[in-house]
Order: sequence, then C-alpha cells, then structure tokens
Amino acid sequence: MQSRGNISSLLIRLKFSAMMALDGIGSNLLRTFLTVLGISIGVAAVVSLMGIGEGARKSIVSQFESLGENVIVIKSNAENITFDAKEAEEIPSRVTGIQYTTPVVYTQDTPIRWRRDESKMNIVGVNEQYPQIKDHKVLSGNFFTSLHVKQRSPVAVLGYNVANNLLNGRSPVGQTLKIDGINYRIVGVLAEKGKDKGDGIDDKIVIPYTSALKIANTKDILEIWAKSNSSEDAELAMIQLGRIYQRKVGIGSNIRPGNGQEEEGMEPDMPMEEPMPEEPSPEVPGEKENVFEKGEEPLTITSLNNLVKEADQANRIMTVLLGGIAAVSLLVGGIGIMNIMLVAVTERTGEIGVRRALGAKKEDLLIQFLLEAVYVSIIGCVVGIILGAWAVTIVSKYGLSAIVSFDSIRIAVFVALTSGLLFGVYPAINASNLPPVEALKRQ
Amino acid sequence: MDIIKMGNISKMYKSGQIQVEALKNVSFTIKEKEFVSIMGPSGSGKSTLLNVIGCLDHASNGSYELSGNVVDKLSDSKMSEIRNMFIGFVFQNFHLLPRANAIKNVEIPLIYRGMSGKERKELAEHALEMVGLEERMHHLPSQLSGGQQQRVAIARAIVGNPSIILADEPTGALDTKTGDLIMELFIDLNKKQSMTIVQVTHEEEIAEYGNRIIRLVDGEIVSDESSGGILNV
Repeated sequence: MQSRGNISSLLIRLKFSAMMALDGIGSNLLRTFLTVLGISIGVAAVVSLMGIGEGARKSIVSQFESLGENVIVIKSNAENITFDAKEAEEIPSRVTGIQYTTPVVYTQDTPIRWRRDESKMNIVGVNEQYPQIKDHKVLSGNFFTSLHVKQRSPVAVLGYNVANNLLNGRSPVGQTLKIDGINYRIVGVLAEKGKDKGDGIDDKIVIPYTSALKIANTKDILEIWAKSNSSEDAELAMIQLGRIYQRKVGIGSNIRPGNGQEEEGMEPDMPMEEPMPEEPSPEVPGEKENVFEKGEEPLTITSLNNLVKEADQANRIMTVLLGGIAAVSLLVGGIGIMNIMLVAVTERTGEIGVRRALGAKKEDLLIQFLLEAVYVSIIGCVVGIILGAWAVTIVSKYGLSAIVSFDSIRIAVFVALTSGLLFGVYPAINASNLPPVEALKRQ
Repeated sequence: MDIIKMGNISKMYKSGQIQVEALKNVSFTIKEKEFVSIMGPSGSGKSTLLNVIGCLDHASNGSYELSGNVVDKLSDSKMSEIRNMFIGFVFQNFHLLPRANAIKNVEIPLIYRGMSGKERKELAEHALEMVGLEERMHHLPSQLSGGQQQRVAIARAIVGNPSIILADEPTGALDTKTGDLIMELFIDLNKKQSMTIVQVTHEEEIAEYGNRIIRLVDGEIVSDESSGGILNV
C-alpha cells in the first residue's frame, strides 16, 4: 500500500512537472518557434539527404539487378575495336571460371509488324546461352537454340509485356511477327522480371544475334556478356580478361580492371588509341552510363563486383557526410535549446524559488526543465520530418530518386531527442540547484 | 505546545572577503495560536531569520525545532518536505503562477504532497472559501486585484493545514486599506481557525496586528513583547 501510494504521488508530481514544462514552452511562443526551427532544420536535412542517399543506393541496386549476378560485360567504346562471334565463344575455354558467354547486339527502333499493327521496338540479339547468363526463365515455349543462332533463323523470344500485349494475355508462341520486313516465328516468352529490372527485358524482343547483326546491317559485335560460377571466379576472370584485351586494344590503354597488369611492347601493329567518344546507345538504359563511366576508355570490362565496390565506397562517403550533418545539426539545434533553456531558467528564477518554498524538490524542477527541452526537440523533430519528407517529394519530382527511409527518421528522432536531453541537462541542473533563498531573492 | 523552538541560532555569510554575522545567538520559542510580528530595520537580519524559520536555509549554528522536527541537519529533499507539510508561505509580491487560475495555484502545495486531483480540488475550494474568494476560483491572477491575489496566496498557504503561516511583508505591495483587510483576515484565521502566524514587517501599524512583536537590530533580539507586556529579552 505504502509503495503504491508513493508511486501514485510520484506520478502526480511528474504529471505536474510535465504540465509546467508545457506551460513553459507556451509562455513565449516566438522563442519556442525559433528554437524548434533550429532543431527541425537539422532533422529535415538528415531526412532529405538520407532520402537522396537511399534513393541513389536503390538505383545502384537496380543496376546490379539489371546486370545480373556474376555477369561480366566486355564492351567496346571505340569503333575500331570489335569482337567476333568466335571470340565470344572461345572465352569459356580461355578464361577459367567463365561458364557462359554471348555476343550482344542491339538494334533500335526496328519496325515491327504484328498482324495489322506497326510499331518500332528495341531488339536484343544474343545466343542461346542468354537465359543462363541473365537468369531468365522461359514462361512458355522455349528459348532459341544454338542451331537457330548458327542458321540465323528468324525466331524470336518475347519479353513478358510484349507477349502480353499481342494477344491480350494469351500465349503468342507459334505465331509469327514481322521484324524489319521478315517473318519471325515466336518460339518462347520470357517470365516477367518486373519494372526497371533485367534491362527492361519485359518490353523487348530477343532474337539470335546473327539475325540482329543482319537487321543492324553490321558485322561488328561491340559487346560480350560472360557469366562466371561465383564472385571469386568473376574476379579471377576479370584479371584474365583484362590481360587478353590489353593485348587486343594496345599499349597504355587503361582497361578496367586490368590495370596493374599493363604489359608493354605488345602488338606494335596496333596504334595507340586516341580515346573515342562513346557513341550513346539508346539501347543501354540511362543509368548504365554511370556503370560504364570513363567513356574515354576504348574498352571496358565491368562486373557486379566492381559495382559493389563502387557502391560500397559511395555509401561509405554518404554515411560519413550524413554523420557529419547529423552531428552539426545536433550541435546547432542543441546549442539553441541550451541557450533558450538558460534564458528560461533565469527568467523564472523567482518562480523556481516559490515552487521550492511550496515544497518542490530538486527533482521536480530538474524534470520540468529537462522535459521542456525535450518537448522542444520533439516538436522540432516532427516538424523536421514533415519538412524533410516534403523536400524529398520535391526533389524526386525533379528526377532525383529519393525516398523517405525509416532509417533516416529513426536517426533524426534519435539525434533530436539526444540533443534535447544533452543540452537540456545543464540548464535543468542549474534550475534545480538554485538555493531557494537565492531564487526567491531574485524576484 | 511549542511550534518553533530556536536555541542560539546564528548565521554567518561571506560577503566578498568579509564575514557577516546576520544572526547572533538568537533564541526564542513560538507557541501554538500565536500571531508574531518580527520587526527591524533593513539589515537587521529579519529576512535571514525568516529564511531559517521557513526552512529555506540552514543556520550556521544553534538548534531549531519546528513542530517537534529537528531541522538543523536535514537534507535539501527533507527540507522540501518539511516546508511542504509544516509551513505556509505568503510573499510580499504574492508569487502566483501567472498562467494558472486561482484554484490551480492553491492546489500546488498539495500536488507536491502527491495528493490526488479530487482531494486537492475540495481542499483548495475550501481554502478559497476561507479567504472569501469562492466567487473567483477560476480567475487568472491577472484578472484579480492585488488584494485578491494576496488572498489566493493566503489560501495557498493554508490549504495544506500547516503548523505555521510565514508571511514576508504581506502588505508591502498593497495600499493601506487593502493591507488592513489582509491583516483582518490574518486575525480571523488566527482567532477562529487557531492558526499560528509569523510575519516579518517593517511597518509599525502592521506589526501591531500581531499579539507579540520581536524586534531585531544587527542580528540580535532587542525586545520581545506581547500585547500583555514585555516578556523577556
């Protein structure tokens, strides 16, 4: 009974302190508003910047997904560096750890005719190993075979959305489709990958690269995809591929990641390559430009592993930056709180004295002034989250991918409450340590 | 019964480099139902004495017993409890919380006692009735005259049924007429409610309302007389 009585009386006093704290922040609304502003700007900065960081991370992740796991992309950026089909086929035997390879040929705005409907579409030309490389499942029918590729057969495998649109969801396998004036038999439909995933394959048509070369009216293969068994294999394969293509491209050319293995004096017949501007390929989604940065390199070899490293580094920098912003906002907001609380304590010294005379203990005042600081930071936090979320929506309207992440809100709340407590403690202790006599005198 | 028992109380201050002895071996007792006025010129130590009586400050030396509690060496927290339970303060400038209405102001000592809301309200209403303010319970201090504010403060002082009401220049901020009304309220509380009252004042006319006047000069009691005649020095 006794202890219950104590607890309830403690609660009554706590409630009163909480009420007095509210009364305190209500006593000078302009001042409270300005202090809140300090905190909320900090919180809004954390929420919006983390939102942008998280958005960037998400877009890198989607790049990973479009590239596929353990996929190495060998890409020529110069007109005079081309691959031939045989080269692509030989890679598994020359490079350990590589299982599958395919030449990749893109065509753009190729005229398509389905029954009476004409349209233009982007087409990907690959070989029969493509589904294994990109982990594509065939939903209905089959993927085309090596024979189809060799014979330059007019066969096509449709992306999920393309197939769906033809017969309103019924499988178009067995039907024919005119691509660039030639009838192609639809042999299969790929399973859905989802929006923005798998290079947007859902909206594309896949045909043998031999056929695609014909449509593109070229013999030059500019891109090869290779798939290794594991990420360790991929790393090893990258080094070997770097060596192989170093020779092909010539001395001094910087092939990623083959740097460190630069061998001199090879292939004197190959002239030093002046970096060629990369021809923008509309086939490659815009985000890939980031992946294959350094367009001045005549040839790039890229794998998921590199991207992981780059993304890691980018994330680390982002984290450090955000940590810095959080720390600064903690400091600035906290100083604001401390400043205002010190003023509040000075202003209410007489009141503190009276309350002490009426029976308030040190704890009552400590809690009151601490709560007052925490209230300010809570309000600042809520306002800041709203402001930050608002900033994120505006930013994402202008094309930057940004999202309000739960993490950012958690960090913001933690930072704001910590600064409220941390910087509220000193003024609160000041208030509670005022001797009653001194406090009463200062009225 | 003795409410206040002071034995050889002295209080030293350090004012810069100089030791100031604000109270020098002050001894007296105050019995239940007394109405005592403490008088003295400024610097006589009457405020210091009030602080010691009010358990706002410890004496440097001597013994002080309040309602049977020896308070000489009590902790800050215990002193808060003693003030809350045994002393009802009335200040010169009323010191009401500006943003709380009369009844809320009167409830404050009971809140620190941990009393529940319903009980508090009843007691606060009763206290406000005793000071004649039952009509204005829900007014804010700013909506009340000075005299009415002081009545609210007196209600706040008596609401917890303390052993003693301790008033520091209770009429200092009021005009003579209002001050007299406050004094009549004190006499009323002293006579009808048997409350013990100690007030500090520098006005002879106000001091005369008490039935005993203690005069301080330079930290020493120079006279202690009841309306019946000189008691002892």
